[in-house]
Amino acid sequence: MIHIGKNTSSTIVSKGISAMKGQNTYRGLVKVSPRADKARNFSQCDSLLIGSECGAHTFPYLDSLNSSAQVEHEATTSKISDEQLMYLRQRGIGEEDAVSMIIHGFCKEVFAKLPMEFAVEAKELLNLTLEGSVG
Amino acid sequence: MIDIKNIHVDIGEKSILKGVDLSLEKGKVHVLMGTNGSGKSTLTKAIVGHYDTTVTKGEIFYNNKNIVELSPEQRALEGIFLSFQNPIEIAGVNNAYFLRTALNAKERFDGKKETNAASFLRLMKKHVSQLGMHQDMLIRSLNDGFSGGEKKRNEILQMEVLQPDLILLDEIDSGLDIDALKAVADGINRMRDGERTFLIITHYRRILDYVTPDYVHILQDGQIVKSGGFELVDILESQGYQAIQKDI
Repeated sequence: MIHIGKNTSSTIVSKGISAMKGQNTYRGLVKVSPRADKARNFSQCDSLLIGSECGAHTFPYLDSLNSSAQVEHEATTSKISDEQLMYLRQRGIGEEDAVSMIIHGFCKEVFAKLPMEFAVEAKELLNLTLEGSVG
Repeated sequence: MIDIKNIHVDIGEKSILKGVDLSLEKGKVHVLMGTNGSGKSTLTKAIVGHYDTTVTKGEIFYNNKNIVELSPEQRALEGIFLSFQNPIEIAGVNNAYFLRTALNAKERFDGKKETNAASFLRLMKKHVSQLGMHQDMLIRSLNDGFSGGEKKRNEILQMEVLQPDLILLDEIDSGLDIDALKAVADGINRMRDGERTFLIITHYRRILDYVTPDYVHILQDGQIVKSGGFELVDILESQGYQAIQKDI
């Protein structure tokens, strides 16, 4: 993300999911040029881990050349816990469906922004990719 | 309804239940009391098939079928419901969406028609206002950022929507203010129809003033040491667990 003009603002939302032995890395550059007065950026990086052999890494690069700019970064890492799965399964939801429910909940913020056709595709792709990755 | 026969349960390496025999009569409200660490929660966990528990010996018959080998979701679909002592938070998963998925799974299992979105919403609104919950409970994430009272009411909401046959309530009354306690008790009484069976775990008499139990069982050191009626609660309240003599 490169800010050149005055009073420009941007938001970055990154959602990463790691399953099995997957490693997921976010690298993002936010650059504010000297003339971009009062530029604003907010970056949010959320990672979800499935299983105990995967990992998530976040490297935000914030390069601000204007002292009136406001650049923020926030990162979270969460894990699908056995307790969460147990809770959903105790209500009669099968294990795969329970995992899928938690993952979709995690991605909701991003899917909600996609056009309808993409959102449907993205959901199906996600289900396909994660099939059998648990247990 | 449920017959627990000489069940031995370990959590990790530790033996918690050492031969529990307990029969719950259909349609009745049973109360389970016992000191901290006596194994009350372990018993409910073993019934629902929680991954913490390993059944090393004994059987659990539910509707004359041994369920020890069934998966947690199968047991739930068969009509067993556990209200968790500490309901789990799941961010991002919408409360109403979760509950509708659970209800539809149960309906499919029972060979019934699935409730559609509109009737489900009507059903939810009715239950939510009956329990004195805020309507925004429907759009919030599952238990995420809920207060202790809201979580417990949410467990009761799930119970009322899913209409299970065997209801295990693990300290549903702990940490509740008087209004929340009444709302929870009313929910239990609404479900009490002479068909459903309840096992209520509690440390205090409070909730039993609203929900009158039929039977009281006392668990000590991983065994049921006494079963009786409400008089046992009176003895416990006045004299503590020391006063309970083991039945031989």
